[in-house]
Amino acid sequence: MVTGEKRQLLDLILDELVPPSADGRIPGAGEAGVAEFLPSSESYVPKPLDAVNSVLSSVSAKSADFSALDRTERVSVLKAVEADKPESFETLVRLTYMGYYSQPGIRPLFGVGAHPVHPEGYAVERESDELLAELTKSVRSRGSNYRA
Amino acid sequence: MSNDPVDVLIIGAGASGAAFAWSIIDTRMRILCLEQGPRIADKEFPSRRDDYELARYAEFSCDPNVRRLKQDYPINSSDSCIAPVNWNGVGGSTINFLGHWVRMKPSDFKARSLDGVADDWPVDYPTLEPFYELNDRNTGVSGLGGNPAYPPYCPELPPIPIGKLGQTLANGFNKLGWHWWPSDVAILSQDHDGRQKCVNAGTCDLGCAAGAKGGTNFTYWPMLENARVELRTECRVREILVDQSTGFATGVLYHGPDGQVHEQKAELVVLACNGIGTPRLLLNSTSRLFPDGLANRSGKVGKFLMFHPLTGVAGVFDEPMRGHEGPMACAILSQEFYETDPSNDFVRGYGLHSGRSTTPMTYALGGYGIDDPIPWGEAHREVMDGQYPYLAGLTVVTEDLPEERNCVTLDTGLTDSDGIPAPKVAYRISENTRKMLKHGEERSKEALLAAGAKTILAKNGDSVWRRAGWHQMGTCRMGKDPETSVVDGWGRSHDVKNLFIVDGSIFVTSGAVNPTSTIQALALYIGECIKSNIGNLFD
Repeated sequence: MVTGEKRQLLDLILDELVPPSADGRIPGAGEAGVAEFLPSSESYVPKPLDAVNSVLSSVSAKSADFSALDRTERVSVLKAVEADKPESFETLVRLTYMGYYSQPGIRPLFGVGAHPVHPEGYAVERESDELLAELTKSVRSRGSNYRA
Repeated sequence: MSNDPVDVLIIGAGASGAAFAWSIIDTRMRILCLEQGPRIADKEFPSRRDDYELARYAEFSCDPNVRRLKQDYPINSSDSCIAPVNWNGVGGSTINFLGHWVRMKPSDFKARSLDGVADDWPVDYPTLEPFYELNDRNTGVSGLGGNPAYPPYCPELPPIPIGKLGQTLANGFNKLGWHWWPSDVAILSQDHDGRQKCVNAGTCDLGCAAGAKGGTNFTYWPMLENARVELRTECRVREILVDQSTGFATGVLYHGPDGQVHEQKAELVVLACNGIGTPRLLLNSTSRLFPDGLANRSGKVGKFLMFHPLTGVAGVFDEPMRGHEGPMACAILSQEFYETDPSNDFVRGYGLHSGRSTTPMTYALGGYGIDDPIPWGEAHREVMDGQYPYLAGLTVVTEDLPEERNCVTLDTGLTDSDGIPAPKVAYRISENTRKMLKHGEERSKEALLAAGAKTILAKNGDSVWRRAGWHQMGTCRMGKDPETSVVDGWGRSHDVKNLFIVDGSIFVTSGAVNPTSTIQALALYIGECIKSNIGNLFD
């Protein structure tokens, strides 16, 4: 579990990895609570908190007060951390995407249903026979295209 | 659990083992199938979970090296640009396959005669055609009759929706005057045979909880169990045993769910473990008579491994394509560039498959079968907001020609949970394939632009999809010559008269289509041959 000041720093970092949309419609990964997902992500990478703590330490070493930086400066710090600790940083990026997009509330913001895909699925109407006949008309008209 | 001798012992409960068993149930022989994995209940499929996408990266990954479940054997693919993927359990890889149900074409069986490459098969399309038909009926296939890319046939069920994405791409192909057709799929477009039609969940790789996808867990196994075919799960075969005086297979040693090693005797042993598992088991079955592995006097067991190297190109359109809705691998298929064209700088050909797009997490992590996450930061927003909803793509699926250097061997340092040596894959793509992929990428761009794409997203470099080794073929090839092949024209080992192989390892060439339809048609054909020759089967 990441708590206290480290949690605040982690949320700021997460909000740079997946930032909120400019109109505020889509939350950033920090605001979406991805930090809660990270400790329980051992099914996807071994020792996920090692990667998280490695990135947190590296950010702190490069910036005494990350929260005081503007967003451009924060991105510069994170790019430097990415260069210094590529494996830990990539692990954090991957886990951030997993923790973010696995949330049912996030998927509809990208046009995908919040619901589990079974049993409801999606209603997709089958093309009519007439439409398929029209679409395939030119293909049929050219005749066979295989070698016997 | 009785280990009394059986007439027929089938190893593997996947696509081929189940189809083969069905083909011989009318013989009244005692049939036993040993399967190393368990049966998975419908309610266990992750598509019923809120966070269903996460399962792709853990217990429901297509990659056994990621899943690491007890029934999975590791595969060393460090010397391969493509990682084999599979599922171990009742249904085999039809549990997580995508249900694209394309037949091989008549020319695929005659590559040597027609194009001077590879070898001809000892069977041909007309011979297999009735078995394709039979298998389609048992599986439940949806599609549109009249495809001019094939000799005439008509799927039993109407096609699944091709959707906005499919219609858009179809219009692009039509503008160019290129072939395309709604994909044949082993996915039900309407309720059929007690099974529910597809709900367009878009997560076929996570198992079909609706039962719409034609995995053998939903098709053949219910029929087999009604016919009292015995299925023992969590039973991993360690070795096939051979009578050292007669040279006949006598049965197997297997690790049971009790953790003990058991001997099971059988009159006939049938391998159905596909292109990696079957050569692995044969190479692990050594004896005085077969010091280099069972049925391997030719030295060809494990050789000539073929995959289908893939690459993809996507287009960004003006309107949302809703590509996450509908069976994920298939909407339409173009075979415009399938047959050999002397004007190309390569021989044989490829298909352009319109896989649908995937769910947000998988796209953010690089796409299905790819581990290359999209950028973080503001670029992430641009990709997910400005590209993801508007994507339609084409996958270039190339024919892989057989090359002896591409092979499955044993890794002496890596074992499964029972201590059995794991397979090691050595594989690289040929120059012919590389040219084909490049050609396919360029044609894909043309098709997408013709369909109205505003931007083309193509990968850089010439790498292929890494986690794309679904189709594992050729490692125990059929042939008439015992010096150059492992089994004969009806799947019987040249060296061991009561040993048969019925899976994708017996393919002579790969075609450029998903192989399961052909694997099962072959399994049914072999079953029919066994019945026809039952009186002198071991002569």
